Formats: sequence, structure tokens, C-alpha cells
Amino acid sequence: MKRLLQVFLGVLTAIGGFVDIGDLVANALVGARFGMSLAWVVLVGVVGICLFAEMSGRVAAVTGRGTFDLVRERLGVRAGLLNLVASMLVTFLTLAAELGGVALAIELATSVNYLLFVPLVAFLVWFVIWRMPFEHMERAFGLLGLALVVFAVAFWKLGPDWGSMLHQASHPAVPDGEGHPTYWYYAIALFGAAMTPYEVFFFSSGAVEEGWTKKDLMIERINVYLGFPLGGLLSIAIAGCTWLVFMPAGVEVDHLDQVALPVALAAGKVGLAFVIVGFVAATFGAALETGLSTGYSIAQYLGWSWGKSVAPVRAARFHAVVLVAIVLGAMLILTTVDPIMVTEYSIVFSAVALPLTYFPILVVANDPGYMGEAVNSRLTNALGTAYLGLLTVVSLAAIPLMVATKAGQ
Amino acid sequence: MAGRVLDLALHLLDRQIIDTDGNPVGNVDDVEIDESGYVEALLVGPQAVAGRLGGRLGEWLAFWTRVLQGGTEPTRIPVDLLTDLGSHITVARSRTELGAHRNEDRAREYLIGRIPGGRREGE
Repeated sequence: MKRLLQVFLGVLTAIGGFVDIGDLVANALVGARFGMSLAWVVLVGVVGICLFAEMSGRVAAVTGRGTFDLVRERLGVRAGLLNLVASMLVTFLTLAAELGGVALAIELATSVNYLLFVPLVAFLVWFVIWRMPFEHMERAFGLLGLALVVFAVAFWKLGPDWGSMLHQASHPAVPDGEGHPTYWYYAIALFGAAMTPYEVFFFSSGAVEEGWTKKDLMIERINVYLGFPLGGLLSIAIAGCTWLVFMPAGVEVDHLDQVALPVALAAGKVGLAFVIVGFVAATFGAALETGLSTGYSIAQYLGWSWGKSVAPVRAARFHAVVLVAIVLGAMLILTTVDPIMVTEYSIVFSAVALPLTYFPILVVANDPGYMGEAVNSRLTNALGTAYLGLLTVVSLAAIPLMVATKAGQ
Repeated sequence: MAGRVLDLALHLLDRQIIDTDGNPVGNVDDVEIDESGYVEALLVGPQAVAGRLGGRLGEWLAFWTRVLQGGTEPTRIPVDLLTDLGSHITVARSRTELGAHRNEDRAREYLIGRIPGGRREGE
């Protein structure tokens, strides 16, 4: 049982990456417009995030260094700063959006305007970071986030034609009425969502917080290979549900309540209850993940002490950064900017920052001076290098595609 | 540690420095080199970063550091204090002795130490 509970760092990290507020809506939108024809992107993304999260967690377990430590060390002070600014922008925008996302999920249940909940949600997110022990935090929100598995149940109950689904997923084609640039824009958005940099910041720093060492490499791998595929599965299940319900009717998805509708149709009130609990837990979990990641990254870049596992007065600057980020995030959402739009943009920006984050991880995980026997295998290096090439292409294509398609319209 | 040949950029610059109690001191922001090319000391602090950043950004950082911290010099750690060079650099002094904790103290005094629960022990 104790062993089973040790996998929730991976689960929470993946939920924050794959089914946070922006991704919940993006997956649903993709399902309704493109059916299963983009499912392959999720698969490519899951393999990529597994590969690099495993490396970052392994480096953290062997050396006790979080990812941004490596970024600065290998990229130097200038390029490291460029990456810090880019990834902090992404992480901060996502944090702000999640604060709105939790509030939107509560609005679904209460019909009270979400803006009223934003200050309360921001306080609770800060309070959990401030007081709740790391392991309790990851277990509580990881476990509750699993309520989203109800999407897989709903998909099954909606009774898809499995043969045609597999055919569509394995023979991807751009659906009628959609242009190639839009198709590729959403491919990049899904890929960027799967590989958002804050997942490795959070995962590697969480490994340090939990005190993992060389002996825990097996647990580290189980976390990765269980958590991220689960995240990918949820993401495909959501797209599958909206594909079956909305695509035949030609309905566009852009609101959270539409994401929940297929489950309500297939699994009734109980299903809907699960969805709302899952929405709240996943967005709250993502807020914790991004809030902590801002503190982890800045502290690691500047060499400060950081983390929840040390006394707050000994990591005072770290806690100050997290607190300021949450306050600013709440203020941004209170300007009534649409939280879902904020994450959809931030996912694309995160695609731009990807190579700068993953290159240093690959270099260090491959350095025997650092890693001793736990250095990368040849296969890992080959895959890692191939993915770096892919990440570079994606990062170059992201902004031009966003401009060309007017962000996927 | 005397006489080891190291690639400066790869093995020293930007590495994490840990004090004798296991607390982070900072990163190696710059190094001090004597005439014959031996490293004499590691430098830690925004003043040292400003020099390496260069350009407008460096000037801007140097300006704000002067404004906020007066004309202070970066923290200087002589190489004979280093006890280990690995994935991090270990120093045989505490960060208080090194004087590399002023900003941490400020964040504690003015903000974190005043929030209820701020002075509790770690987990």
C-alpha cells in the first residue's frame, strides 16, 4: 500500500500537464473538430515527456539537483536567463489560468459567477503550498484528479465504433472543412501541452522534496511510466467523448460545461459529480504545480535555498516568490480576461521554450562525471537526440502557425 | 584542491555552492583569477552576475544592486575553503560566516517570518 502511494508525484505532475484548464478545453475542442485524427500527437507527446521527465527525475535522485539548476549550469548565465524568462512567462500565465479554472469548475456546480471565487481559490492554493506537507498534497490532489477517469468510462458507454476509431487514429487525415495549417496548429498545441516545461521543473524538484536517492530509481521510473501515459489516456478520452457527441452535430467547443456534457449524457448525475470533482482537483493540482514551479525555477537559477520540506524561514525568498506569483496571477484573472484563452496562448509559447529546457537535461543525464552508473543508455540518448530535433522544429513553427491561423480559428 | 586542472566554464561557473550545513549559498556567479591563471576565489552575488551578463541588462542589474544594497562587493569565497567539487561545490563554512545571506534575511524579516506558521520547523 505504501508503495502504491509513492506514485502520486508522477500522477499529479501528469494531471497538471495533460488535463489542466486549458487542456481540458483544448482536448475537447480537438475531439469535436478533428475526431481521432490528432490522437497520434498525444502518443508522441507522452513518449517525449516520459523520456525527459525520467531523465530529469533520475538526475534529481542521483545528484539532488533540480532541472533549473542544470539549465543555468549548462546554458550559462545569459541563455539560462532567456529560458528563465520564457518559461516563467508560460508557468505564470498557466498558474493564473488555473486559478480561474478552479473557479470555473466551482461555477459549474454552483452557478455563481467564477470571479467571486478567484480570491478564495488563490488563498487556498497558497495555503496548501504554505502548510500542507508535500506528500499529502500530491496524494490528495493526484487521487481526486483520478475522478477524470470517468471520461474513459463515458467514452466506452457512448459506444464508439472501435474499428473506425482505430482506423481514424492510425490513418490520420485532415477532416473536410479544416485547413492544413489549423490541423498543424492544434498538433503543436497538443504536443506543447504534453511537454510543458513546468512538468519537469515540478517533477524533478518534487523528487528532491521527497528525498529520492539512487536507491529510489525504480520508484522514479514507475512514477513516470504510470503517470504520464495516464495523463495521455485522459486527454484522448476527453477528445473521444466530444468527437462522438459534438462532431456529428458540428458544434464548436469553447466552454468548460461543454466538456462535461458528454459524461452527463453517458453516465448521468453520478458521472457529472465525478467530472466536477475531477475538474476542481485537476485545475487545483495544476495551480499547485505551476505555483511551486515558479518558486523552484527562480530559486534554482539564482542558487537560493528552496522547497516545502525545509523550514519556511530557511527558504524565505522561495516562499516570497510563490506568494507574489499567486497574488499577481489572481489579479490577472480578476481583470476578467478569459482563463481558457490565457492557457491556450501559453501552451503555444511553451512550445517555443521547449528545446532550451530539454537540451540541458539530456546533456547532464549523459554525463558520467555527474551520473556515475546511472548515465543514459544508448537508446535513451538516441531517442533524446531525435526528440530534440523534433522540439526544435516545433519551437520554430509554433509562432508562425499561430499567426497564420489566427490561433486556430 | 590546489593544482587541479578544470574547464572553468564547465566545472565551476554557474554551479551550485552548498555550505558546511548543507544549505545553498548561491551559484558561482564569477571567479577571481590571479596573474598566472590560477583561480583564487569564487564570487557570489548580483554584482558578479552583472559583470558576466554585460550589455544593457548587465548595467541595469548593476544599477539596481547599487541602489538596493549600497556599494557592497559580491561575496568572495577563497578556493582553499572548497572541500568538494562534484554536481555541486561544498564550502567549509556556513553561509552566515560567508556573509551570503543578506537578501534571505530581508525576505524573512519583512515577509515570511511574519506570516503565521512561518517560523515552524521543516517537514
